[in-house]
Amino acid sequence: MIRNTERRPRAPGELGIRIVILVLAALLLMALQLTGRLQSLRSAISFVTAPAQLGATGFTRTITDAVDFVRDLGVLRQRVNELEQINAGLRAENFSLREVERENERMRRVLAFAQTRPGLELRGAQIIARVIAQESTNFLNYIEVDLGANHNIAVGMPVVTEQGLVGRISEVNNVTSKVLLITDPSSAVNAILQSSRLNGIIQGTPKGDLVMDFIPQGPVFSVGEVVLTSGMGVRFPRGIPIGQVVERRQRDIDIFQQAVVRPIIDFSSLELVAIVTNFDPQEEVPALSETPTPDPASVITGTTAVTATNGITATAPVTTNP
Amino acid sequence: MNGSMNSNRLPIYLMPMLLLLAALMQSTVTVRLELWGVKPDLVLLLVVIGALIYGSKAALGWGFLGGIGVDLFSGGPLGISSMGLMSVALVAGIGHRILSRYHLLVPVSAGAVGTLLYGLVYIGLLTLLREIAAQSTIFGELALPNYQLPFWPTLQDVIVPATFYNTLIILLVTPLLNRIPEIQEA
Repeated sequence: MIRNTERRPRAPGELGIRIVILVLAALLLMALQLTGRLQSLRSAISFVTAPAQLGATGFTRTITDAVDFVRDLGVLRQRVNELEQINAGLRAENFSLREVERENERMRRVLAFAQTRPGLELRGAQIIARVIAQESTNFLNYIEVDLGANHNIAVGMPVVTEQGLVGRISEVNNVTSKVLLITDPSSAVNAILQSSRLNGIIQGTPKGDLVMDFIPQGPVFSVGEVVLTSGMGVRFPRGIPIGQVVERRQRDIDIFQQAVVRPIIDFSSLELVAIVTNFDPQEEVPALSETPTPDPASVITGTTAVTATNGITATAPVTTNP
Repeated sequence: MNGSMNSNRLPIYLMPMLLLLAALMQSTVTVRLELWGVKPDLVLLLVVIGALIYGSKAALGWGFLGGIGVDLFSGGPLGISSMGLMSVALVAGIGHRILSRYHLLVPVSAGAVGTLLYGLVYIGLLTLLREIAAQSTIFGELALPNYQLPFWPTLQDVIVPATFYNTLIILLVTPLLNRIPEIQEA
């Protein structure tokens, strides 16, 4: 083991000055970003880093696909050893072609999303974006897509896939944008349970799960119910699938019930998303066709407005048990 | 002896490149390396290793730079990870000057304490920003997203698993780390 034993005495002020300078620099950067003065610099950096991110993400996916491919190959080898030798020359070409085909298929599915769901009010245009990066810290849940202000992307636009709701645009640079996922603790989405028609607010957790909060006490809902966007709060179009209830949390001492919701989307493997570019949040949202079925054991006596920590307001019935 | 020391040295000028590369990988590659619901903090690990080898004075700058790299690929405010990683550099630097990093417990403790500290600083600063934005009319006009990061769930579901994960990685790379001689602080 090699260790330097002769040490130069440290000048205490030198380290202190360095700490002060760097802390001030970090605070300055934070202040500049929060006042929007770093927008052009961040756009320039994104312009440089986006291809690298896209390349690294693509490379990772290729490696993962290759590992899966090799794993499948092991099984295949046992079954069709002779055919494999014949096809060896074609395999590399097939591999890349399959990747292209899969991407086309996914794009077709995403494009067909609005057409197959006429009731979703996705009358606006949609732009297909590629996910180029995930959140770099463990604390937040964001993704980065390869479209930005140059493509008319704006903060607040809803982001979906053919399966359901992904989140909304939270930051826009010239060529890239960041999407706040619905699994982030800062996210709040007004939602409705499809069968019981109960309203609530879907919030993310640090673990990346979803919890539907502010469900009124009294009415009963069941595990397995599908959760959709309700259209209230005018941030998202209504009727977009969010997930499925896997657990009901109800305590008599609480004002509201909760539901643990399993997201319908696997956020760790997002590749393509659709950004709804002209969803008008101010447009009138028609009343839902079905009304909540009241619990016979409860009597609805009024309504109360509840403001979540994220500033979203929900209206919930106040019930009293006779 | 000196010759072999020099040949084993981790090139100091390579560190900024390594940190930016690690930040890029942290937003792309490490997603596939999730364990216990968290991914490894490559930049933090590099800062800890740098602090153990070069001391906290050099590692402070790397913490700052690495934090900028992390925040560029994050939805959080720019500079917040720098603050967290600089505090990590200061603490991990104790293993350079005061303790001997060749004792297994030193790098392992540096990784564990560093991850905990980084997480706590991150949550603390986000909470502080939210409080400032909520209470001050001046700061309220800033484009401050409403970050919600509940303390106990984040500690339990993110920071503790990340601490185990990062410590495990430090434990695995310690034999390699011990081959690099300690460099005296400039």
